[in-house]
Amino acid sequence: MAAVLCRRLEGAVCTMKRSLRSWLWRVPIAHEVDEEIAFHVEMRTRELVERGMDPNTARDVAIGRLGDLAHIKRTCMDLSRKRDREMRLTQWLEELRDDVKFALRQLRSSPAFTCIAATTLALGIGANSAIFALVDATLLRPLPFHEPERLVTMWERSDTSQRSMVAPLNFLDWNERSSTFDLMAGFIPGVGGMVMDGADGTAETVPRQWVTAGFFDVLGVTAIAGRTFLPSDDSQRANVVVLSEGLWRTRFNADPTVVGRDIRLDGSAYTVVGVVPRDFQLLGRSSIWALAAINPRPALRSSYLLRVIGRLKRDVTLEAAASDMTAVTAGLAREFPQTNTGRGVTLEPMHDALIGSELRLTSLLFLGVVGIVLLICCANVANLLLARATVRTRELAIRSALGAGRRRVIRQLLTESLVLSAIGGALGVGVGAAILNIAPAVIPQGLLPAAVTLTFDLRVVAFCVAAALLVGLLFGLAPAWQATKFSSAQVIASDSRTVTGRGGSIRGVLVAAEVATAVLLLFGAGLLLRTLMAVRNVERGYGAESVLTMMVDPLGSRYPTEEALRQFFEAVEREVEVLPGVRRVAWTTTLPLGPADAGQSFFEIVGDPPVEESQRPTADYQIVSHAYFQTLDLPVVAGRVFNDRDTGDSVPVCIVNEAFVHGYLQGRSPIGLRIALRPTASPQAPAVMREIVGVAHQVKGRPDETEDLVQIYVPMAQDLVDDIYFVVRPTSGRAEGLAGSVRAAIARIDKAQLVSVRGVMTLEDVAWDATARHRFRAVMVMTFAGLALLLAMVGVFGILSYSVQQRVRDFAVRRALGATTSDVLRLVVGSAVPVIAVGAVLGLVLSTVLGRLLGSMLFGVQPLDPMTFAFVTIMLTLTAAVSMAGPAWRATRIDPAVALRSK
Amino acid sequence: MPQKTPSALLYGALDALILKTLARGPRHGYAVARFIEDTTGDAVLVEEGSLYPALYRMERRGWVEAEWGTSELGRRAKLYRLTDAGRAQLAAELATWRRFSAGVSKVLFAR
Repeated sequence: MAAVLCRRLEGAVCTMKRSLRSWLWRVPIAHEVDEEIAFHVEMRTRELVERGMDPNTARDVAIGRLGDLAHIKRTCMDLSRKRDREMRLTQWLEELRDDVKFALRQLRSSPAFTCIAATTLALGIGANSAIFALVDATLLRPLPFHEPERLVTMWERSDTSQRSMVAPLNFLDWNERSSTFDLMAGFIPGVGGMVMDGADGTAETVPRQWVTAGFFDVLGVTAIAGRTFLPSDDSQRANVVVLSEGLWRTRFNADPTVVGRDIRLDGSAYTVVGVVPRDFQLLGRSSIWALAAINPRPALRSSYLLRVIGRLKRDVTLEAAASDMTAVTAGLAREFPQTNTGRGVTLEPMHDALIGSELRLTSLLFLGVVGIVLLICCANVANLLLARATVRTRELAIRSALGAGRRRVIRQLLTESLVLSAIGGALGVGVGAAILNIAPAVIPQGLLPAAVTLTFDLRVVAFCVAAALLVGLLFGLAPAWQATKFSSAQVIASDSRTVTGRGGSIRGVLVAAEVATAVLLLFGAGLLLRTLMAVRNVERGYGAESVLTMMVDPLGSRYPTEEALRQFFEAVEREVEVLPGVRRVAWTTTLPLGPADAGQSFFEIVGDPPVEESQRPTADYQIVSHAYFQTLDLPVVAGRVFNDRDTGDSVPVCIVNEAFVHGYLQGRSPIGLRIALRPTASPQAPAVMREIVGVAHQVKGRPDETEDLVQIYVPMAQDLVDDIYFVVRPTSGRAEGLAGSVRAAIARIDKAQLVSVRGVMTLEDVAWDATARHRFRAVMVMTFAGLALLLAMVGVFGILSYSVQQRVRDFAVRRALGATTSDVLRLVVGSAVPVIAVGAVLGLVLSTVLGRLLGSMLFGVQPLDPMTFAFVTIMLTLTAAVSMAGPAWRATRIDPAVALRSK
Repeated sequence: MPQKTPSALLYGALDALILKTLARGPRHGYAVARFIEDTTGDAVLVEEGSLYPALYRMERRGWVEAEWGTSELGRRAKLYRLTDAGRAQLAAELATWRRFSAGVSKVLFAR
């Protein structure tokens, strides 16, 4: 046992000696190897001499027996070096492990500091990672297609427009005649709907995009079941469709036998040829792609319908393709002078076309802003760390005196910072994921193009890791450097009071800047919040509480005459009106606060002096059924509503709204006046003379419109369209409950399933969508304002606790000399207030500028709104008070006896 | 001159021989070579060119430890000593050798 112990001890001592030597003295390895070999040779020589050999011969033999000396030396040196390296590595790792354990212990011992610092970092890193996801989606990530840099979008160029749609016959010729493109394909932009046989007998409307045969080949998308379109489909003009994976899974349960089967769409049979993967949604979020076979009718050379995409041949530049295409279009212009003169082509890389440069710039801007926020977080945490580091100066000085060396101590402090930032980074991943989760709900439709999908993937996590590392180094370096600056003797000998940290003024400036930013953002948030509230509460003009709406769109080809259409609408009305829970129903082409499908119409008041063509006034043209005004509780303030006597054979009538009366009638009574309505401004366009029979109450077109919307209502009996909104008012309760029964009623009328019913929502939802942008802006700015306020709070807390710590003896002496608690409080608060005040004033001054900048986004609130100023001041005061509370409390608790005795 | 054992056979056994030699106490490289030669009666001549690389390799693996000390001559010499890991390795090598030589013997000396 003793022997084993002795051996162990010897072994340990040996290791220590060896490691010490290799660490501190680094005896050249070559030396050692030489010496060892020399010794061996000497010993062997002696042995041989003892055996009777001649000394010189003996030496030669001895060396000869060793063989290739150089090789031995090289091998041994190499092995030795490797061994030393490995030893150093294990040592380094051990030290690292110790540092991390120590750091964790330190962090655990001051939970408040750890929480605040980690939260600050988490918020900063999380926000940055969310914006990075945006930058990644717009700038960094390539499009998810095969070799996306070869993809090009193509438009026709004419004298009036740089980018206009392409005529199908032109597209065919481009495809055939170009030499720089592998393949081109076209698609009709915009996603329509097709009515598909519902499994339960109801009709389901699915989004559908028309594409040409080469569409999927150009993009390099392969089907996950079946195939995509072939040229033979095109030449046979087959009715074929490709499904999206989403539809395949939800509607057909990923049944592989769907491929090859026929499904009924829009009343006809279409064959499903394949399914494409889920990620392929860039050019329009569609569930079905239907083949648009191009019929070579001459008219198709001048109907500009298609957007065209093309895949360049390998190693062909955009310029080469552009000149090639210019030659092709010139050839077409010569062949078809009537339609193609002066029409060229514009090429653009598909990535740029899908994601505009403006969006990319905006996301970079966001990244910059959020990056600055992160830097401020770092500054804050550095502040907090500095406060702590000065307390530990003695401990660190002792460590270095014991031989740890300044670099080792700095390494240890940096490890602590990195551990802290690692915790912050890990939490930041969670924050970022949460933000990206709720982002789609908050970002209004259409703000981001379909090509930009914010996903939280490994790249974002990698960014978080990198950010945490960088941040840890940034905020850890300064305190580490600071803390080890003083010579050990100086520090150990003195007491902690004389160790003051420089850079107090920088910290003060930093906190003032944080306060100013917080004030600025709070002010902006306040203005936008008031705008949002004003916009939500705007008087809409109609009285009905909860109304169900949906778009009803019968297929034109199956309801070819107006009569058929009218009969259909009347049948639906009759069927739905008798449903339980339905009070009234009506039809309209415009939804209040929503889309206005019938567009605008030029009008002239008969009898008034004629107006210049360019000055002709327009009004929103709305086609409604008789019951519209009653259904929505929209009062008609003069005259009458439409009734059954207003038919296609009687006098054409219309109802105007109050804005029309105020704006164009100059005090005359509107009832009986006649106006001429034209769809375009030219006098040659057919005008319909209508007599005004009533005046309706004003209805808002957009919630934040500054000018009243001028509207003209026309009865459905006198002007029919084939896609129109159906509105249903319930007798009581919520309108959503009626959705199912109304759709079933329509299905009963529409037995052939040729009617698309989509966009089922309530007028409330429509109003909600109308305020989406305002809500988005308010939420964004409020979030940043909250973040800035939190950071400012932490900043104030930081400098104050640092200053209190520094002045412990100072306060203790004062108290011993008779200062009261309030005196001490005044001192403490007095040191922070100037900084906060400077920041606040700066922020308020900047706020006036901000108010003016925001001008166009505001509604119902002045740019220099006094209430918002007051709100900001109150918030700031409260926050300042909360952040000063902790250090002030600690200052008052200083017991002079204890403080003066300890060092 | 005694028969020189083919170096192929020796290669795998060199480590085991060195370990066993060091089990008897710390030695320098030359002493290891001499011990093997003396004990095997010169039937095994250690390929001296591979001795030191073998020792260095074993040191890297942690089976032996080296320390500079004073030799019989009064000169500095590098002494190698067996570690606990080395002891375990020696036991493993012995077991392997036993299995190997028993198996080979069975085939070679079968009738």
